[in-house]
This record gives sequence, structure tokens and C-alpha cells, in this order.
Amino acid sequence: MSEQGVAFQAEVFQNEYLPAGAGVVDAVITVTASGAGLTGGPVKLPSTAQVIMVDCSGSMADPPTKMSEAKRATAAAIDALRDGVEFAIVAGRAHAELVYPASRGLVAATAKTRAEATRAVTRLDASGGTAMGQWLTMANELFATSSAEVRHAILLTDGRNQHETPEQLAQVLRRCEGRFVCDSRGVGADWSGTELRTIASALLGTADGLADPAGLVDDFRAMTEAAMGKAVAQVSLRLWTPAGATIRFVKQAFPHVEDLTPRRREVSARVGDYDLGAWGAESRDYHLCVEVPPGTIGDEMLAARVSLVAGDEVLSQSLVRAVWTDDTALSTRINQRVAHYTGQAELADAIQEGLAAREAGDVQTATAKLGRAVQLAKESGHTDTAKLLAKVVEVVDARTGTVRLRQKVAGVDAELANVRSVKTVRVRPASE
Amino acid sequence: MGDRLCPACASAVAAGDAYCEACGQDLASEAAAGPDPGPAAGPDAGPGPAAPGPAAPGPAAVARPAGVWLTSADAPEACPACGAREFGPEGYCEACGQRRGSAADHTELDLGTLAAVTDRGLRHHRNEDAVGIGTVGDRLVAVVCDGVSSSVRPDAASTGAAAAATAALIDALSRQQSPVDAIVAATRAAQAAATLAAGAEPGSNPPASTFVCAVVADDAITVGWVGDSRAYWLPDHPADGGGSAATCLTVDDTVAARYGADLSVLASGESLVRWLGADAPDTTPHLRSFTPSGPGRLLVCSDGLYKYRPDADQLAALAPRDAPLPAAAALVRFALDCGGADNITVALLPFPPDPAVTVPADQAATVRARDSKEVDQDE
Repeated sequence: MSEQGVAFQAEVFQNEYLPAGAGVVDAVITVTASGAGLTGGPVKLPSTAQVIMVDCSGSMADPPTKMSEAKRATAAAIDALRDGVEFAIVAGRAHAELVYPASRGLVAATAKTRAEATRAVTRLDASGGTAMGQWLTMANELFATSSAEVRHAILLTDGRNQHETPEQLAQVLRRCEGRFVCDSRGVGADWSGTELRTIASALLGTADGLADPAGLVDDFRAMTEAAMGKAVAQVSLRLWTPAGATIRFVKQAFPHVEDLTPRRREVSARVGDYDLGAWGAESRDYHLCVEVPPGTIGDEMLAARVSLVAGDEVLSQSLVRAVWTDDTALSTRINQRVAHYTGQAELADAIQEGLAAREAGDVQTATAKLGRAVQLAKESGHTDTAKLLAKVVEVVDARTGTVRLRQKVAGVDAELANVRSVKTVRVRPASE
Repeated sequence: MGDRLCPACASAVAAGDAYCEACGQDLASEAAAGPDPGPAAGPDAGPGPAAPGPAAPGPAAVARPAGVWLTSADAPEACPACGAREFGPEGYCEACGQRRGSAADHTELDLGTLAAVTDRGLRHHRNEDAVGIGTVGDRLVAVVCDGVSSSVRPDAASTGAAAAATAALIDALSRQQSPVDAIVAATRAAQAAATLAAGAEPGSNPPASTFVCAVVADDAITVGWVGDSRAYWLPDHPADGGGSAATCLTVDDTVAARYGADLSVLASGESLVRWLGADAPDTTPHLRSFTPSGPGRLLVCSDGLYKYRPDADQLAALAPRDAPLPAAAALVRFALDCGGADNITVALLPFPPDPAVTVPADQAATVRARDSKEVDQDE
């Protein structure tokens, strides 16, 4: 492995003190990777492969800037590929078509292959339908021909997944899980935030939308560089919990909310692994909630041991403790980070449920949920989300969450609010 | 790792260090006295029996009186909560997560001429008291520590402090230091160990313990203490027979003792004003030397015993005239019969010491028991 020279640091934030009879332990674990391997030092990075799926459905021609910007963005991503990174370009319609290389498989980036691929991309045209499951299936087959450690895909779409059922897409996602990481992007005004989140969530990537196609170039380059900056290819969160404990949830809490709970892979009776994909120079927060058998005053137990592992190598380790006390000054203390991420998770739910209710015509639920979302965004200082919400609802009083649904909302604004609902902010230093 | 051990607290020290990083002991003056490997028992009570151990093995020890000591420090082999035998490196049970304690629920230490018994009592879930006894030539030592139950992991502080202090006393006395100097060094070692029990992040409520120790020589009894564990003089013959009267030799570091008995009616009257631990404001030991006019016994104990009979005369009447071990066991039994509301620790040392009945190291006995009784939940 190439994680040599990379330092993982983990920090636990929790109130370990519980009153008698209580057994629910919450903790936020912040894991940060840094080191020579991440800053271009002498350490060898893992081998990388990348597949770019470009939507070439008919709607990409309307307006024509979508197709032209998508081509420019793909060219920029190709240009950013380091020599030796294996890659391929797929055109997405109702079926997937391999644009480059000519024969099925991946090809190592060189000056020559990059130029050939860029030329092939300029010939793309917009015609046909949208079936993202087909595109992902082809990407999966292409990655299967490679032995690269970090496998990264970009999926760009401008519309909804019209030419296959949600079940078909879900089936494909199950087959692709753990095989490669996929970032999904929407461009234009007609994509579905829910679909993009579904794909990114299953394939451990990020989801976002860009109303203006001009932003694609920078975004594609950044995603490619991030993939090539991964220092450890396969990282898992390993969780030990004591006998008699129940895991209420394990969530990624930053940079975006991702419920990992159902992804547990049993290692032993008390140990489970949760795949996290590849790590670069980045910092992520995890929120863990474990229920342990209630102790008596003075008892102390280990409620969880949270490790980051690559294979059998332990990259970082944190202890989550429970101490029972009759000192209420201790047991009633609220940990700021735990409270903050509890709020951020509620914020994501409120936005998603509010938008779904709005789409279904349930004005009352939509107003209540989106009002709560506005309130939570204000409280946590999540200004980006507050701005997005203000395009969907008219904010009367953010502090109380009093809002009115806007009558005229650009479709893309609701989808942007949806796709970015899972993005979180960290606690502001002032409030800690 | 350094080649040397701190003579006060047995922490490893680097070759060039002038002061011990753990306890602040002046190493330069020790170096002048010659290299010293120190006692084997360290400040942190690791797994495995910490005692008995002959003090200061090596060539330097030959010229010194041999020391023998025992302590209650003993990390259990099986988890007290679930019986599993595997513990993680951080000291938690790998099966049920419960923290591994520092000592057994009940321990009896027997060096023949002196003995000690410590017991969990009937109300507490863990024995947070700790005790050590030892002999150097014809001098006897005892250390009793009572973990402050409002602190985190008090048993780690008390066990660490008792083990470190006992080893330090033995070491200092074997190097012909005065009892007062030995007690000062032992207190420093105990404070270092209690501080180490807090780990790297002491938090707002780090492990804390009381501390009392005694050196019994043929000419005097010397006691030192921080907190409210006590030492009592119990004469063999009543005062009207011409001997020294039964008396408590220590004065509690409590609000009531410091500001007047009137305050003892307040709930805070028994609150400690001094203790050992990472957050201790003042850890200088109180010192007292006492020369009895006749034979008797020194009782060193925690409040688990004296809360039922605080008066010295009553305790003198209560302690049976048996050998030290059965007498100490009887006092513990008495406290249990009174309700056993707290952990109970009793050490009994004869005055004048009688080296003839001191047992050699290989016959020193430690009896441990765990979960010998259920915690009594109703009054």
C-alpha cells in the first residue's frame, strides 16, 4: 500500500457522562489525513483509473451551450489526467457508447492518447434518450478490465432517467457498489436532485448540479485532480461495540450527510466494517450513536472503538467512552458537535421531505418542513442552504421558521436545494 | 527509554535529566549517592502481581537491609462484569467494554508481624481503596489510599499511589534515609502515580485519592498524610496503666477538621480540602512523629472503618488481641456488619516492631478474592 507518509489523525467529540439508567452514547469523530503522500512528496500514489460518462441525449442540444460546455469540460478532465492514469470516455444515451478508446477497455494517459480522446470528444453530438443504468454498467465493465487501485467515474446528465425504471437503476447500482466511486453532476434545468444523490450515495461520491454549464470545466478538472490525489485507495471505518450494544446509526456528517448504518459488513461478532472509498488530503466527520446496557454510578465502559483501516492496517483509532455519574452538571452537558450534526441531519431530512411534499401538492407539510429547514439553516450558519431555500420559499422570519411557499419557482432551484440538502457545514469556532 | 529509574516514583528517566519528568524528584543529588536501580514496582499498576519484591536487587543492595513489600494492586485476569479474559490495550474488556479495575474486591496482605485487609464493602461496586505494607530490616511501613469516589477512575489513583508510595518508602529506608525523608519521597511518588492515572487528558475531574503512610521504628512512629485516611495509636494497656493513651495521630484534611467541628453538621463538612491527583492544589504531606511510652499497635485505615467508630478508645477496645492478620480481618468484618457503606481498609503494625516474626519474602502471602458477595442494594 502507499499510505506510507500519510498521517491519519482522529479526534473524538462527545459527552461521555451519563446519568444512572441512561445508555445512549453519541460521539462525533473527526478524521483528517495529511502528509507527504498527499502534498506531492516522494511517496508513490496508488494507481488510478477514470471513466467519464457524458450525457449525449437530444436535450443536451437545448440550449446548445450545454453540449459545447460538456465537451470542453470533458476535454479539461482529460487534459488533467496524469501520465499513466487509465481512462475511457462514454457517451450516454438510451444505451451507452464507448467514445474512446476504440476497443473495449481502458487506456493509459499519454500525450498521444489524451489528444486522441479530446478529438473523439469534439465529435460528440446530442441525440437519443437517457438510461443512466446503461452508462454505469459500461463503466463497471471498463473498470473490470483494469487493476487500478483508485477507480473514479464522473457522470454528467442534463435530464431525468427516462428510459429505464428506478428499479433498473437500483439494480445496476447494487452491482457497481464497491467497484468504483462515482461523482454525479446535473447541468441545465431538468435533472433530478434525487437521482443524482442516489447514484452518488450508492457509489460513495458527491452529487451536485450546475445551473450554468460554464461552471463544468472547473468542476470536471477539480474532480479529476481530487481522484488522482487519493493517497489510500480502499478505506473502511471499522467499528467495535461491546456485547449487548445496539448501533443506532453510523453517519458521515461532514462534508455531506451519508447514512452508513445499512452498509455494515460483519467482521466478527462485535466488529463491523463500513466502506468509505478512497482518501486524499481531506477531513471528514462521522456521527456515531450507540446504545449500551445502562451502568451504575461510577461505572466506566468502552462504548465503541472507531478505527479507520486500509486492509488490516489501522490508520487511526478513537475511543468512545461511557461514564456514569450522579453529577448532573456533567451528565446534562451537551456536546456542541453532536448537537450541531444532529441539527444538520435534521436539516437534510426537512429539505428533502419538504420538497417532496411540495412536489406532491401538500402545501401544509411543505411549508412546515421547509420552514423548519430555514430555521435550522439560520441557526447553524449554513448560509449556502439558506440562500437556496430562499429561492423556493419566501422567508418571513428565519428565527421562527415562518415561511410561505413561492408560487413561481424555477425547477432547477428546487433540484439544487434537493441535491445540496446533504451538504453540511462544520461548527463555527465561536460556538464551541 | 532511560537506563535509570527515578528513586522517588520509579519512572524511567533519561541519562542527562536533572529532575524526574513525572514527579519532579531532584536526580542530581541522587546521582551523587550512586546509581540506583530502584524498586521493581512502578507507579502505574500494570497487569500481574506488583509484589512481593525484594528491594533494589544488584550489587548496591548487598550492603543494605533487605526490603519486602506487598500491595493490593492487581489488575484482574477476568472481567468482573462478564468473566471474559481479554482486555484491549486501553484497559477495557474486549467482550463487554467494562473498564478493567485496578484491584480485587477483597485482598489480604500478610507479612507475619504486620498485615492488612482491604474490602469493597457492601454498597460500592468496586474497591477503590488500596493498601501496601512492607518491612526494611526492623522497620515496618504501611500505606493506605482511598480513591475519591466523585472523581473519574479513583481506583487507578489509589492503587497507583499505594504501590508507588510503598516501593518508594522501602527504597528510601533501605538507603538509610530518615522516616520523614522517606515519607516525603513516598508522598511525591504517590502524587506522581495519581497524576499519571489521569492519562494524557486529565479532564475536569481527574482520578484522585487520599494518602496516609506510616513508618514504625523501634524508637518512634512517623506518619504522613494528605486527605482523610487516618492512623491511630492503639496501646496494649489502657492509659491508667502508665502507657500512652489511645489517640488518632492524623488530622483530616476536611472542611470540618480545618474550620471547626461545628461545620461537621453541614453536608459539606466531610468534603476533602486536600487530596492527591492531577488537580490537587497542595500535596505536601502533614507529618507527625510519636514515641509511645509502651507497647501497642498502629492502625492505619480508611474512613470505611472509622466512620463507624471514630473514637480511638473505641477502636482500641474493638481490635482483638490476635495476630495482625486476623485482627485486621476482624475490624473489616466489624465495618461490614455495621453496613459496609464504603470500601474498608485496615493495616495493623506492632510497636515496637519485632523483626524476629517478620516473614521472609518467599513466605509473604497475598490472598485475593473477587465478587465474594453481592452488593447489598437495600439499607
